[in-house]
Amino acid sequence: MTRQTSSGIPLKPVYTATDLPADHLPETVPGSAPFTRGAYPGMYRTKPWRIFQLSGYGNPEDERERIKFLLEHGETGFIMEHDRNTADHLYNVDHPEVVARHEDVGLSGAVILGVRDYETILDGIPIEQYYCHPGGAVVQHGPFALACYWTVAQRRNLDLKKLAGTGQSDFFLTYLGCITKQQVPARVGLRFNCDIIEHCAQHMPRWVPVSIAAYNGADTGLNAFQELGALFANAVEYLDVVKARGNLDLAQLAQGIGGVNFRVSMDFFEDICKLRAARKMWHRLLTERYGITDERALRLRIHVVTAGSAMTYQQPLNNIARGTLMALASVLGGVQSLGVSGYDEAISIPSEHAHQMSVRIQQILQHETNITAVADPLGGSYFIESLTAELEERAWDFFNQIQDEGGFINTLDSGWLHQHASQNQIEQEMALWDGRKSVVGVNMAQESIEPLEINGHEPVEGVWENAMARLETIKRSRDQKAASQALRDLEQACRTDKNIMPVMGTAVAADVTLGEIGDVFREVFGDWNPPIQL
Amino acid sequence: MQKNMEEQTPPAKILLAKTALDGHWRGINVVGRALRDAGFEIILVGMAQAEEIVNAALTEDVDLIGLNMGGRIEVVERILEQLAAAELDVPVFAGGTISPKNCRLLAEKGIETFPPGSSLHDIVAAAERLTKGTF
Repeated sequence: MTRQTSSGIPLKPVYTATDLPADHLPETVPGSAPFTRGAYPGMYRTKPWRIFQLSGYGNPEDERERIKFLLEHGETGFIMEHDRNTADHLYNVDHPEVVARHEDVGLSGAVILGVRDYETILDGIPIEQYYCHPGGAVVQHGPFALACYWTVAQRRNLDLKKLAGTGQSDFFLTYLGCITKQQVPARVGLRFNCDIIEHCAQHMPRWVPVSIAAYNGADTGLNAFQELGALFANAVEYLDVVKARGNLDLAQLAQGIGGVNFRVSMDFFEDICKLRAARKMWHRLLTERYGITDERALRLRIHVVTAGSAMTYQQPLNNIARGTLMALASVLGGVQSLGVSGYDEAISIPSEHAHQMSVRIQQILQHETNITAVADPLGGSYFIESLTAELEERAWDFFNQIQDEGGFINTLDSGWLHQHASQNQIEQEMALWDGRKSVVGVNMAQESIEPLEINGHEPVEGVWENAMARLETIKRSRDQKAASQALRDLEQACRTDKNIMPVMGTAVAADVTLGEIGDVFREVFGDWNPPIQL
Repeated sequence: MQKNMEEQTPPAKILLAKTALDGHWRGINVVGRALRDAGFEIILVGMAQAEEIVNAALTEDVDLIGLNMGGRIEVVERILEQLAAAELDVPVFAGGTISPKNCRLLAEKGIETFPPGSSLHDIVAAAERLTKGTF
């Protein structure tokens, strides 16, 4: 029977030295060009990967408690999740679309209306000690989230130049996988991201200004080589625009955006090889297309989130095994940072116990298995090297197709990328139901003696009402003149080609709220027209 | 004979709506495609409020409403209440991230649920059963 990877690459029953790619260099070590074997020489002997979990829900206080819980249980960086209804859309809690389904508010992240809510969440957390993702995963939310975070840091008299973390500002999320009701056109988003890149280079050099999250493309359906090709097509948009602006050194720019996010799912070896191919491709892209030679820029740093879509609703405790396997593949692929999806992922955001389990899985790998002792233990394997090369070749081909379509942003605007994702979604579903693909508990081994029923995270009551009260307090107690002026300045900056980040900083410090910023964006830029109907 | 009958009868109409402000479209895309392939006419209204769902169901004269849940059950209950208030006697089924507890609560209200991992065959079969006699 023919076997193949989940992206359709044919697999032989066994591989030998004759399968090694032509450019295979047996003497190359991790930490040296082209970095296929790893970004750093010592890998986990020198620095363990960061345990970095998505976290947050409810009121700001609830989010703080969950973050503290995770840090106390072994997490080594932290993530602030924002309420999807408000943050992704830049709506305040009194927006009609939010009011119409107000019970949903706070379900998948805290409601964060402005800098005061940031202060509440971060109260008692020494942010200078942690790598943080303070929100802004969604492109149009990125400038607001970053400005709120640095404002909190300034108020604590911290040196912004030492602050470490990322806002993400990812296109794959709301322009491909999870399309918002309203958001700025994708090209405006590209401008925002380039503003962030330039601002961070000057004021927050340790910050990863944008982190391309191809995870969101993969969980929407893109296969392994499409995920790779699309990620680098996105990177090229940043590199070309910022290069054309001419304010930044290219190597500094590349280093800034060289912290990316991939999905690792259940095709164990293909996912390992995808991470190896990614580092090699980044090196090749920067050296060949941009002539960059600075080694700090050429090392691609990778955060992985294990595939949420691989976690089954049926027999959820089996997901602990899946989380472990996906985490192991991520580590064998050489990640710098890792988040493991909760075993209750198919039901809700993680319960406290599922969250703890995601941390424990990583701790078991780090402390009990001895896999951290040797860098790139799979390097030199005939199969691994062959599959890495095959993925790279197919990924460049997909990258070139995107260039032929006018570039990454054009493929979002036109729906070209959505079409590819959609085809794969249907194909993956068909494979499940005609028996070509097996998932335990779903289409085989469905009988189970479950010891307990998992109902996931229990939502907090009254989140919307509390947020309405906070919104009222902010508007009543702020210096209204300063807030209005800041909003006018923001609008002015939006209408010119000025970098919006300095005025965004002034605005959030003046207690301008999320929805007011959204109103300015909607007024100036209008809405993106999604290429697909939901 | 069979063919003739098919030509004369219009397909049953299913309205598919997303209850939450959460635009993940993978589930609704796959389910919508399967229902279309099975011969149903699909009306997509996206992330719609209760009122919009009721209005669309009335205007389009649909035979079945499919709710893609990504949020809390109270939002679905509001939709059911407004359907009842409009005296719209259209069956409803639901899919998406629905906890076992909420599946039971919806079952008590006569709503069939299809959480992640549900078979497309089962979803299509339910749609055929729920629209039986309406076309």
